[in-house]
Amino acid sequence: MSGGLAGERQADAMQVVMIGLGEEKFALDAGLVREIIDPVPVTKVAGARAFVPSVINVRGNVIPLADLRIRFGMPQLDDSADTRIVVIEIELEGEPVLVGVTADKVYEVTEISQADVQQTPRVGMHWKPEFIRFIAKWREEFVIVPNMERILN
Amino acid sequence: MSAMDPTEVFRQEASELFEVLEGALLDLGQRPDDRELVDSAFRALHTIKGSGAMFGFDKVASFTHEFETAFDRVRKGEIKPTQELISVALAAKDYIRALIEDPQSTDDIIGEAILDDLKRFVSFDQPGAPVVEIAEAPPLAPGESKQAGWHLHLEFESHILRNGSNPLDLLEDLCKLGPCFVVPITDGIPFLDEMEPEDCYLKWDVKLHAVCDKDAIDDVFMFVQDEMKLTLSPLAHVEAPAPAPLFQLLDEEPAPVVEMPAPTVEAAAAPLAEQPVAKAEPKSESRLEPKPEAKRDDRGIATVRVQAERLDELMDRVGELVIAQARLTQLAASGSDLSIKMIAEEIERLASSLRDTTMGARMVPIGSLFGRFRRLVHDLSRDLSKPVEFVTSGEDTELDKTMIECLADPLVHLIRNAVDHGIEDTAVRAANGKTEQGRIELAAVHSGAQVLVTVKDNGGGLNTSRIRAKAEEQGLVAAGAVLTDHEIHQFLFHPGFSTAQTISALSGRGVGMDVVKRTIENMRGSIDLSTRTGQGTTVTLRLPLTLAIIEGLLIRVGEGRYIIPLSAVEECIELTAEDERSRGRNFLNVRGNLVPFLRLREIMTASGTPDRHQKTIIISTGETHVGLVADQIIGNHQTVIKSLSKLHSDVTMFSGATILGDGTAALILDVAQLVALAQSKVEKQHISEAA
Repeated sequence: MSGGLAGERQADAMQVVMIGLGEEKFALDAGLVREIIDPVPVTKVAGARAFVPSVINVRGNVIPLADLRIRFGMPQLDDSADTRIVVIEIELEGEPVLVGVTADKVYEVTEISQADVQQTPRVGMHWKPEFIRFIAKWREEFVIVPNMERILN
Repeated sequence: MSAMDPTEVFRQEASELFEVLEGALLDLGQRPDDRELVDSAFRALHTIKGSGAMFGFDKVASFTHEFETAFDRVRKGEIKPTQELISVALAAKDYIRALIEDPQSTDDIIGEAILDDLKRFVSFDQPGAPVVEIAEAPPLAPGESKQAGWHLHLEFESHILRNGSNPLDLLEDLCKLGPCFVVPITDGIPFLDEMEPEDCYLKWDVKLHAVCDKDAIDDVFMFVQDEMKLTLSPLAHVEAPAPAPLFQLLDEEPAPVVEMPAPTVEAAAAPLAEQPVAKAEPKSESRLEPKPEAKRDDRGIATVRVQAERLDELMDRVGELVIAQARLTQLAASGSDLSIKMIAEEIERLASSLRDTTMGARMVPIGSLFGRFRRLVHDLSRDLSKPVEFVTSGEDTELDKTMIECLADPLVHLIRNAVDHGIEDTAVRAANGKTEQGRIELAAVHSGAQVLVTVKDNGGGLNTSRIRAKAEEQGLVAAGAVLTDHEIHQFLFHPGFSTAQTISALSGRGVGMDVVKRTIENMRGSIDLSTRTGQGTTVTLRLPLTLAIIEGLLIRVGEGRYIIPLSAVEECIELTAEDERSRGRNFLNVRGNLVPFLRLREIMTASGTPDRHQKTIIISTGETHVGLVADQIIGNHQTVIKSLSKLHSDVTMFSGATILGDGTAALILDVAQLVALAQSKVEKQHISEAA
């Protein structure tokens, strides 16, 4: 997934799940999302990397719970009534891996179209560019389409 | 999930049968008098033949038939299974396997040669063979095959035509066996107004004047045998000379002849027409002798094919059920409704037994794998003329099925190495005062959260200096570098590394150990070598249990709960105030022994205040003991091991995770890692104390 923008977007429209992390909105490719669940008790894994601090039980599978907020250097909020876990499936070293991602809020499943895609602005970004696939515009807001494979590797 | 390719089903079935056959043949080599083995080999052969014909593997069927015919004499006890005969039989088995798996690679000539060998071995009578009546036996055996022919009474179920079977075709097939005299019986035909046009009302009486096996007739009706009644009796002069010597034979050796005389006895005992109607093959035997039937049943129950993914799914569902059940139990406990409490308890009991059963379903005893290697060793020891005794233990150690499959290749390499490189030539062994026969042990044992599979030989051991010389020659290490033996042995795992002076067909090419290592590491296992010059080499594969059940000790550290594999736990003691004070030293005095201990609270960075009475769990690996200090010991826990994902592959302290009754995940401590950690701390302490 290291190609340019054109290579990343196959179709005009892309189904995404819109999630909120802190003040920002992120659009996760709906094709990756397996399910969205309410928060469950987490088990801390001592010695793990900071962005995958714990594991959770999802339907009998013990899967890692990733915290994108840590990866993006954002403050961690306490769980609220809106907090959800988005379970996504990504490929790591050629094998599919289920990963839970904490979201402060899940908005909706929607489409963003090619026309909405914005060039990644060079300034004002405190995120590592390789974590971002592209930035799109949705309802007059900028949303980030993260590159999950990169973020979790 | 559509139906599987029937040919594939046959292949799978056949490969299981080959294992049975091979196992039986090899055992027979050691216990030539065991009738059970002969029978089980014969049954496997017979089934391969039958299903082979059914799935259109005609060559397989005809070859197996010949094989079976030759082997029949062994079954009848006329011939003793000698080593030579077993070797040929094994070759024949391999040929059949090749016919099924890769027909292009086979050549009829090979098959014929094998059959010739086989016939040669079974044709001449051996001195001291157990059966005295050999001269009489051939005329007896015909009780089954060489009489004038067969009388058949055929009665089909009325719906047979609707299933697409045509009795006339079957009759035609029957006629191919020899001249037939077919008489239709029209008694069953009803009046026209009662007649269903699609039903079959005719029955047939057939006199088959041909010398053929009962099996050949059964084969004709193979597909319809459940939908028909077939009464089979030998034609003509049956009462004649047969019965007397037959019973005599029965008295002397009941087991081997059971199947053979069945039709004759039947015929002699009852007039043809009044005979109770017998269904095709297996039942007609069982009426006389229930034992073979019972054996058949055992085999039928023994295996049910289920796709592995389905078992995984089932396991997940059961996991969810257990979690839901835990919630229910909690809810029931908080209320006061007695009937709900009863139901909750009932469900708890059911769920836990369902869980145990499901977990067990994926596990396969490693013995199924070990069986294959007996053949390997048998062949190798013959080819290299090194007599080798092969001993296996721990066959019932259970491992996940996928792991067992992955283990096959590495073990082949290791065993080959052991026979080829490990065990010395007979002359060398004799010169070193060892027994002529080498010994290879293959063992599996559960050790904590791991399964240890060891291949041990009593050969010459690794030649450390030669390995070193070779490594220097290949530029893997600078000449004169200081290396421990252990480090030198690691070169064996280097791709392309071989110390064999000559390349044999078996080993010496240097592919092998690196592949073994890679395969084992892919399974998140590790491989150890230990060797003693002149006494042999032991290779130990340490394999994690990806999906296995272990007994675990559930402990609490701060807010978190962890599992320690119970097999590693030696004892639990309370941390005394005295130990508590000696913060700097981290040593416990256990009955006079100094045991280093680790505070799990520190390692797990637990928050909150520690419990007042800290508990110490003494764990051990081998000789080393280490104490783990926890806040609370909760109790033992049936633990399903789930591996951690790739995202946590950098975490070494845990060997996996499990799901507790309340649905939260708990981590399983990796005992070996913790012991290593404790030891490195001890060393550091020594260094700082020394400074």
